[in-house]
Amino acid sequence: MGLVSKFLGIIIAVSGIAILFFGSSDPVWSFGYYILGLILMSVGLTLVTSRQDAKDKKPPPPTVTEIRCDNPECTFKEIRDFQKGDYILKPMDAQCPKCQSSMTIHGVYVVREEEPE
Amino acid sequence: MQFPGLEGDYTGLINIVFLVFIIMMSLYGARIQMWQWLKQIEAGLIELEHMKKESTQRSIETFKKFGRPEEEVEKELARWLDYFTIMPVDLDPAGVLKRLDHLLDERRDRFQEFVSELAPEGALFEHQSLENTLEVTQVLDLIFRIVRHFYLIGKKTGSQIMIMQIHMQLPDIMKLAKAYFDALDAFAEGKPIGDGIGPLVVTRFAREYGGTPEKYVHEISKEVGYYPIEVEGRTVYALRATGPGGTVGKPGFAVKKLVDDNKGKIARIITIDAALKLEGEDMGRVSEGTGAAIGDPGPEKYAMEQTATENDIGIEAIVIKEDEAAAVGVMDKKILDAVPDVIDRIRTSILKRTKPGDKIILAGIGNTIGIGL
Repeated sequence: MGLVSKFLGIIIAVSGIAILFFGSSDPVWSFGYYILGLILMSVGLTLVTSRQDAKDKKPPPPTVTEIRCDNPECTFKEIRDFQKGDYILKPMDAQCPKCQSSMTIHGVYVVREEEPE
Repeated sequence: MQFPGLEGDYTGLINIVFLVFIIMMSLYGARIQMWQWLKQIEAGLIELEHMKKESTQRSIETFKKFGRPEEEVEKELARWLDYFTIMPVDLDPAGVLKRLDHLLDERRDRFQEFVSELAPEGALFEHQSLENTLEVTQVLDLIFRIVRHFYLIGKKTGSQIMIMQIHMQLPDIMKLAKAYFDALDAFAEGKPIGDGIGPLVVTRFAREYGGTPEKYVHEISKEVGYYPIEVEGRTVYALRATGPGGTVGKPGFAVKKLVDDNKGKIARIITIDAALKLEGEDMGRVSEGTGAAIGDPGPEKYAMEQTATENDIGIEAIVIKEDEAAAVGVMDKKILDAVPDVIDRIRTSILKRTKPGDKIILAGIGNTIGIGL
């Protein structure tokens, strides 16, 4: 939607410029074309420069749960979707599939996209 | 103004049109601009109202899971949304913090009472998270009502300054409201938030030195306890609010109590907290400084500073930088990744500025929602 409106804006603005400069040779209509060209230019540029609508924004990133093996020598790590009841440092019932040690939730987090400065 | 190709009678007509246009703009330009500002505030208000309604509905959905029918929850919530606290009089500042602390205690008790009544089947940690959910809904409701107030006053009186000031602040207000709106999911689901990095760091540090949930000493002040641990010959009281429910407790008074209980033996107080980053700074950047890193309305920070000053104890702060949205929203990966760096800095501070046999207070300040002991 954002790209479509920007593209549409460029077309309208260019049409406005064309009408403004080439208009009509008829003295009665030329002033009307002049005003129409200005209006089209401003509408087109508004569409090009306007920000994306809030509704078009992406949904929030999913929350994930990172589970790690408690054995410091084991590197097993599992990342899955957050489930209600998960919290950081919660001991898990399941054992590590690699070394059979206990496991703990190491983190519950989201990975946010960087906003342009 | 003359147009090429347009001669005779038309030139006069165009000149008159332009003249009228210029006169109209100089007479009514400000009104047109105000109309434009009002329209923009109106658009913001529509979004704020949407957030308010959505958050209220989300609160109702969350509360009704704990034993009360939806209609009752809805009615009680509507009654509770404009609950207010009157700040103490500061014309005579003597004892103002004590009075503020008393009022904040009273406010918290009323919140707890309300949540217990509205969610009778919830456990304590669930009540704590429900309190946070309620507070977010209250904040969004308040923001909406304040913006609407200025909008209506501005419209009614036609006061340019009234409309202009709310229009200028609107981007910041919308940013704040959006941050709280996005945080609702975290509070309703019990997910850890960015502000909880302080207690998380303290727990991870305590775990490295043998601190366990069983060794945690509960309730030295309201909803705050500590892990007693040994670090390179020093005794460290690793202090935090009790999770995984959503609470910040009263860490300032806990620090004071520990200092009073160990008169003359505490050598250093180290506070860990989240801090608002400046635009352009990296998320999760770690900074060090002097003073008590705690963002309460006053009494907690005062208690910490006062006890440190009276007992001549060095007090330092390590903060993790984050923006408003990350502080109240679900914990960001970059904030979580800062934990090892903070732990290194704590260790360095303890080894450099204290000696074996000393006692140290390590206080992790923040909301413990979603962070276990």
